[in-house]
Amino acid sequence: MSKSEAAVIGIEVEGTVAEQGMLRDSVTDFVRRLCDMSRVRRLRADGVDCDPSFWKRLADLGWLGILVPQAMGGLGLGLTEAAIVAEGLGAALIPEPFNAMGCMTTTALSACAPNELAQELLTRIVAGEQRVALAWQEEPGELDVNLSAMSVEHIGHEIRLNGIKRYVLAGKAAEGFLVSAVTAAGPELYWVPADAVGLQRDYTLLADGRHFGVLRLQDVAVPSRHRLARGEAARVALETARDYATVIAGAELMGLMKSALKMSLDYMRNREQFGKPIGSFQALQHRAVDLFIQQQLASAVLESALEALRNRPDAKQRAIIASRVKARCSDAALRIVRETIQIHGAMGFTDEFDAGLYLKRALVLSAWLGNAACHRRRYARYALGAQL
Amino acid sequence: MTLPENERDYNALSDANFRCEVRAFIEQNYPQKLRFMLRRVKRDEIMEWWRALYLKGWIAPSWPVEYGGMGLNGGKMVIFIEELERYGVVASPDKGITHVGPTIMKFGTEAQKRFYLPRNASGEYIWCQGYSEPNAGSDLANLQTSALIDGENFVINGQKTWTSMAHDSTHMFVLVRTKKNTNKKQEGISFLLVDLASPGITIRPMRNIAGHQEFCEIFFDNVRVPVDALVGKLDDGWRVAKALLSFERLNIGSPRRSQYALRRLQMLAKAKGLFSDSGFVDKYATLTMDVEDLGSLYGRFVEQVKRGEPLGQDVSSLKIWGMETWQRLTELLIETGAEDGVGDGLQNIDDVEIDFLTTFYYARSATIYGGSSEIQRNIIAKYVLQLPS
Repeated sequence: MSKSEAAVIGIEVEGTVAEQGMLRDSVTDFVRRLCDMSRVRRLRADGVDCDPSFWKRLADLGWLGILVPQAMGGLGLGLTEAAIVAEGLGAALIPEPFNAMGCMTTTALSACAPNELAQELLTRIVAGEQRVALAWQEEPGELDVNLSAMSVEHIGHEIRLNGIKRYVLAGKAAEGFLVSAVTAAGPELYWVPADAVGLQRDYTLLADGRHFGVLRLQDVAVPSRHRLARGEAARVALETARDYATVIAGAELMGLMKSALKMSLDYMRNREQFGKPIGSFQALQHRAVDLFIQQQLASAVLESALEALRNRPDAKQRAIIASRVKARCSDAALRIVRETIQIHGAMGFTDEFDAGLYLKRALVLSAWLGNAACHRRRYARYALGAQL
Repeated sequence: MTLPENERDYNALSDANFRCEVRAFIEQNYPQKLRFMLRRVKRDEIMEWWRALYLKGWIAPSWPVEYGGMGLNGGKMVIFIEELERYGVVASPDKGITHVGPTIMKFGTEAQKRFYLPRNASGEYIWCQGYSEPNAGSDLANLQTSALIDGENFVINGQKTWTSMAHDSTHMFVLVRTKKNTNKKQEGISFLLVDLASPGITIRPMRNIAGHQEFCEIFFDNVRVPVDALVGKLDDGWRVAKALLSFERLNIGSPRRSQYALRRLQMLAKAKGLFSDSGFVDKYATLTMDVEDLGSLYGRFVEQVKRGEPLGQDVSSLKIWGMETWQRLTELLIETGAEDGVGDGLQNIDDVEIDFLTTFYYARSATIYGGSSEIQRNIIAKYVLQLPS
């Protein structure tokens, strides 16, 4: 089956290794031309999580539809390609929510097909015309999409939602939300525009200057066509979106840790004390090697996860794979950014030096969608379930 | 003595068929009592298996067919090793196959190839490695054992140490200093093949902390070996010795030891009902993921070998992580065993048989032999991270 044939029937097909190399180059090129740390700092100072003109450029490149099948207006590529983009953006600490909106939301919406409203939303998202966030989580450290305290009442042709959604990473930049609920018939997924009456949006300021959105829904009424999926379909949409975004977050951490380690190694080669480069001291060399080993492990796990996900494992296996990626990448990245500060000495502790930016982004990315401890627990539940 | 002809092209088989054939042969021929053995085996224990492999033409899987090997490519070689590991086949005293054979093929004379290769394959000659000395451990190039040419002989004087299973071997490949006062200490070293029955050799086995006679001290007192015992050029032995190492480091980094220890830990935890203890489950999950991730890293290097690419110095990271993970596992085994965990030998805990201490002891040596973890870190720092010295 050719790629275009596959795309027509809604199956994503990964590009060849050569195409992936070209994508990697274009991400690197894009990042070099348009992103520098002064932009990252400016957005942080202004409290902006997403610069609309930058977002439009991501859309123009097609990256906001990278996982969306071609038949639904996307590029129809695979997770490996999404990971390449995320790694490149992560390496440059791009704050815009490529993963949360360009991967997680779109994965959930693609899984709602066939659904007219979902397709309308996808078309606008891919074109960069509307920013939509998936609001599914309610409790910290709880990754189960089948648990929700959101209440759903049917009144005439309307549905009334009451409840709270938290930890919505793209929540501040979003112009609308996919809100999940769980009824006796299983999970459901609703479209709630940002200006819906009864929706109150608050933000929690995060370490990296971005925000988690908190959505308080009080008698928010939506027409029944706003229900995008229910039951098994909604569960599959939510779980797939959650697990894919978890793996992509690992890729973003991968890019981040590579940048941070490279910065540390460059410094070790150049900074002199006691008349020698500090990188010649064995204590520091061995520290750097241990960071390199963590980076190698993380990239091997990410690589094998992307390979395994290509074969469409079942939900349990997919969750196990995602947990392995997130646990290792979070731990490795956090260790590398902490040591990056140590290796740079007092300079690493200053706000004007970039080490702190890496640390703070790593803190947020490692906590979002479950930190390493949370994923180890989930891994234990799924992978070791029979023994527990 | 001739080797059985290997006329089959194993590389032409599909991976699955090859795996299947190897598995069946192992299951039919490997002695049950030697499966998953924790200590090194002795020659007479393993000879039955050796002979079976030899008669099948499989004793030297990596050797070229022209020398009586199977001529396996990297990918098939990995499958062969995976199947041995899966069944718990213990490491044979096969340095004659893995070390001496390839060295002679690359650097040896025709006469050396004709003489040694068939004897190494049949198991008539069993080899040990004479590298370390009391003052040449991590700093191997500092070795002082000397060999001076006297007519048709080298005359060897000095001492080797930490030589595994020398007391159970017939021959030793040894690094000696044939030239003193060179500019670099790596120069002036030569690679010799020595018959351990030569007069003037004294072998003193030592017990390791596991109580096994594993390594030995070897004393050379005017030991005369013929000049044709030299492999490669005179004074060029460092290069000869170094040519061997990368595939070995991949093998050392295999997750098999850790997977085996993890299975023991799982059985023990089940027997003790520890999977309802969240403190234990946290530790167990962390280590299980460490082992799984080791498997991913190992798999990546294996793929590299399968594609026919040479391994770089970054393969040292595999040895460091693999061995340190194994150590953490053996530590958790002892902790989990509690009072029973310090009992010597096989312990029976609710019908699960575990030798806590032997595994723990041997794991200590894993970060020392084959280049200590510190030396491996030096290698990565210098050659991979390109840090200054």
